[in-house]
Amino acid sequence: MTLPYGPVVLEHFRRPRNQRVLDKPTASHEAFNPLCGDRVRIELEMEGATIRAAAFTANACAICTASASLLTTRVTGLSTDDAARISDAEVIHALETTVPQAREACAVLPLRALRAALRGEGA
Amino acid sequence: MPDILEQLATLREHETRVAMATLIAARGGSPRPLGAKLFVGEGGRLLGSVSIGGCVDARVVEHGERLLKENRAERVTVIVDDAEAVELGLACGAEFDLLIEPISLNGTDSAIEAYRSAINISRSGREAFVVTRIPAAGPPARMVTSEPFTATGPDVFVERIAAAETLLLVGASDVGAALARLARGLGMRVVVVDGRERYATRDRFATADEILVGMPSELARPYFKAGAYVVLAAHEYKYDLPILREVLRAPVRYVGMLAGRKRAEAVRALLREEGLSEEDLGRLHAPIGIDIGGREPEEVALSIAAQLIAVREGKPIARRG
Repeated sequence: MTLPYGPVVLEHFRRPRNQRVLDKPTASHEAFNPLCGDRVRIELEMEGATIRAAAFTANACAICTASASLLTTRVTGLSTDDAARISDAEVIHALETTVPQAREACAVLPLRALRAALRGEGA
Repeated sequence: MPDILEQLATLREHETRVAMATLIAARGGSPRPLGAKLFVGEGGRLLGSVSIGGCVDARVVEHGERLLKENRAERVTVIVDDAEAVELGLACGAEFDLLIEPISLNGTDSAIEAYRSAINISRSGREAFVVTRIPAAGPPARMVTSEPFTATGPDVFVERIAAAETLLLVGASDVGAALARLARGLGMRVVVVDGRERYATRDRFATADEILVGMPSELARPYFKAGAYVVLAAHEYKYDLPILREVLRAPVRYVGMLAGRKRAEAVRALLREEGLSEEDLGRLHAPIGIDIGGREPEEVALSIAAQLIAVREGKPIARRG
């Protein structure tokens, strides 16, 4: 399977990091795109204000899956304040490819889930 | 086997009483299995059949109308002589025994309640037995059990309602909707899974037993059981891949995926890289269905349903992938 989105997306889609279920997450949120059907759930294990572990489950496209892989890697060890400050542009930039405007929603879906989890919005 | 409850629901729209004819014995061969039913409505409507020959069913209709008027049950024998048998396409004459009884569609009827109970057992994944005792005079009496039951004499008729097979349909596409309708008609229990609530709706899947919206790979997992049929009808690798990684190693009876040859091979190549064995991958039917050439959703669904029947019946099928 070839993907037009470059080596970073391909690597993190084929060998996603942190794609697992945490035993006892302290926060989690599942975000979805109602039309394309992407679904991603971010789970966090926090110790005080620090994210000790971040994991995800996704039934999602390559861009979304790669984004979740990169995002969970990045936020592990971060403070919740720093994680909450990650911007859409940073997440898209991390994919190291040109994300068409129509697919930006896929790239930032994991970030939406992360923000909601940090706000304590379960589901 | 047609769902008797659905047949009765259809009749209830126009009829208040029907005669239910059940084929309880056949000598000389029968084109329909024992237990086949023909309903004769008081208002004239007919549903179902106990034979494929119009002449046999016609005689049963006459008996049904008579017994409705007399408001009583009777064991009836219909004899087909050789001339009729030839006309019917039967090799020789045959005799059919039928139990014909009046059924009330308004309120509670013990026969309907017995079948409702048996079908509920079947839909929970177990086989059920409807045991009908046929007295010389008076109405038949029924009991339902999930334990295997053998008839103890000519006045006892036992119908085995097989455990409903589960069709797990991942992807609430148009093909999925058409397949759900067909599968329900085949007596299957249909479970629809999708991540999109605007697609997986009761409007689109009116006859589905369950409609589940959420993370498809997680919702589907409890159905990866022996005997299940799994059809991936989303045509979306985002759903196909997470499910195939698990279901191809599960003891399900059938896995098929909506895909052209090129896409199917790409999916296989990716799963092969991830460590699935050739044996695992060999279980995947992709492209799915029997090649009958259709492209419309109903046509594709029909080709898939035909493949499901062939697998169920143990018939060799021409694999397309």
